[in-house]
Amino acid sequence: MSERLRQVGIDLQESEENRALVEAIVADNPKVTIRQLPGLVKLQGTGQIVINRQTVEDKLGRGWETGEFQLAIVSYVGHFSEWDDDQIIVKWEH
Amino acid sequence: MAHPADAARVRSPKKLPLKERYALLTRGLDWEPSYVSKERLFPYTRYEGIKIHDWDGWQDPFRLTVDAYCRYQAEKDKRLYAVLDGFAQGQGHLRLSDASYLNAIKLFLQGVTPLEYAAHRHFAFLARYLEGPAPRFAALCQCVDELRHCQTQVHTISNYNKYYSGFHSWSKMHDRLWYLAVPKSMFDDAMTAGPFEFLISISFSFEYLLTNLLFVPFMSGASFNGDLPTMSFGFSAQSDESRHMTLGLEAIKFLLEQDEENVPIIQGWIDKWFWRAYRVSALVAGMMDYMLPMPVMSWKEAFELYFENQMLDGLFPDLAFYGIDPPRHVNVAIAEKDKLSHEVYKILHNFSFAAAFTTQIPGDDHLAWLSQQYPQTFDRYYRPVWEKHKRIEAAGDRMYFRGLPQLCQVCQLPTAFTEPGDPATLSLRHSEFRGETFHTCSDGCQWIFEREPEKYVQARLSVHQIYQGNCGGRSIPDVLAWYGIQPGDNGEYKDSSDARCWAEWHEGNLA
Amino acid sequence: MARREPGVSVKALYNYDFPSADRIENFGPDQLVYVLWEGNPLFCSPAAFRVPRTMPFGEFVTTMVRPWAASDPDFNLAAMRGWKLFDEPIDPEPGTSLEAAGIGHKALLRFTAT
Repeated sequence: MSERLRQVGIDLQESEENRALVEAIVADNPKVTIRQLPGLVKLQGTGQIVINRQTVEDKLGRGWETGEFQLAIVSYVGHFSEWDDDQIIVKWEH
Repeated sequence: MAHPADAARVRSPKKLPLKERYALLTRGLDWEPSYVSKERLFPYTRYEGIKIHDWDGWQDPFRLTVDAYCRYQAEKDKRLYAVLDGFAQGQGHLRLSDASYLNAIKLFLQGVTPLEYAAHRHFAFLARYLEGPAPRFAALCQCVDELRHCQTQVHTISNYNKYYSGFHSWSKMHDRLWYLAVPKSMFDDAMTAGPFEFLISISFSFEYLLTNLLFVPFMSGASFNGDLPTMSFGFSAQSDESRHMTLGLEAIKFLLEQDEENVPIIQGWIDKWFWRAYRVSALVAGMMDYMLPMPVMSWKEAFELYFENQMLDGLFPDLAFYGIDPPRHVNVAIAEKDKLSHEVYKILHNFSFAAAFTTQIPGDDHLAWLSQQYPQTFDRYYRPVWEKHKRIEAAGDRMYFRGLPQLCQVCQLPTAFTEPGDPATLSLRHSEFRGETFHTCSDGCQWIFEREPEKYVQARLSVHQIYQGNCGGRSIPDVLAWYGIQPGDNGEYKDSSDARCWAEWHEGNLA
Repeated sequence: MARREPGVSVKALYNYDFPSADRIENFGPDQLVYVLWEGNPLFCSPAAFRVPRTMPFGEFVTTMVRPWAASDPDFNLAAMRGWKLFDEPIDPEPGTSLEAAGIGHKALLRFTAT
């Protein structure tokens, strides 16, 4: 039985720092769509969006803690299914 | 070749994984009481009928330790206050779209900021009285967050208090003014309920289900209208809000998973609190469609995006797994989306002689935008009324509702809402309890009243309090004085002190 | 264990029984009456009045309802008709007191005038 995959989303503050974060998310989630609104970057994906610390560090050019994601996020649609030192996953549970 | 980031990581001391650090610093600090019973230590977690078998079942996806919390919050504050300083130094208020925009921010400061303060108090209560260490710690973080929101909102908006009316007495006004009783009574209702109902009412219904509808319109409105400080505050707070949303979602899932018998109780609370928070959001609807010189989107569009798409199509299918249905009166809310903002702004325009903000009829461009956004209803039901106002004003007068309105016993708004599918007929309802009549504005509020009448018969409805002589006196000037309204705060925008100052301050432009 | 009084729906740890804030005793010789001008969208809602229970209906209309209705510059006193008490048509004599006309505390009256 195929489950209907629902949209999940993350809204990020538009800032210099967050460009690298957006690049990293797009690199790891190729089907994610990006919508620009004033001051805001809306990312939307089907099923789940994954943020990998390693990818963010590669794009940012410095060390990055997953906790720093708190400074970037504005809102989200979905559920934080996982958040540890290396990875953050947003998806719906059921 | 080693990446600089790798080098940075190698240099810092080895840390335990996040999950373990968090467990040690939160649950690891908990203890079992040895000389006092659990029931005495936590006296509020049984009387609502909710059954919890294992408090350890509470998940903490955000895993924020106290040291990380302080670091990130300090960083957010630093960034925000830099913007506030820059804006003040650059006389940024002169670059707002128009002084009339600030009426939306007066509504925000008077209506929303005090709710942040109330929330911080109640989360402090939960930080003590919830039985599990994980929800207690989440509540403690939210308590400090909410106090931060109150403080940063006050600081953000204080710059406008130097130049514009209506900002000076937000805390006193929240307690006294008729339209502010709408958000105040909603929060008082939540704070006087039990801890589990509070979690469903505020953490879930307010901070998750409806947060984007309550918050984003103000923040986007700020961005579109040159209000850099409020916009920056909004972004600064929203990252806290994602933690709050998570707490809300975790709260409801935890309660639903603990015992099947919790499901109907939770459903009843969802039904009640969707409607109560939705009625408060009516003020936001009026603001979005009528108080922004540069509009962001219509209430209708916001409701479709933030509620129908994200919540009804996104969240509720998730909750269906537990046997939860969408809120009981959600179809009325959907049917109202073409009407709500117009009905609410009519209230505010009728009564702005008694408000701490000013109102005005929409100009021709604004009327055109409203026609375009509301093709089903605007030209038939609402444009004719604004045009009548235009004729009244052309004759040198200004229509006010010269009297006091009937209020809904539950939401405390004037009973200005209409039947689903019939914008011309008010949806007045009434109920009897112990031989006394009580009026409500809709099926949603009537259902809430009849479910807990003993609570709502105690409501201090502002109009009835005025008539009982409890608001400074029986005349309107007495009441306005008791409200703390000062010259310039109330009435019509077009000849207000804000409008005159704005014109004067922009006279020097040689372009 | 929570104590629940029979018939009280509010869940509480004590006897939850409090007087209503707007019971008629709080208004002395007066009562509250609401009046809706049906079909006039200029007014957002019905109006609320505090009025002596013994005031004659006609005096209530001319001294209290009319000044409020005149917020609408097109209001015509002579056109007022079709009075209803909640949903029931009524036609009280101007001299009949509100009380005697069955218009009690927190009653809703309706009229048309267009």
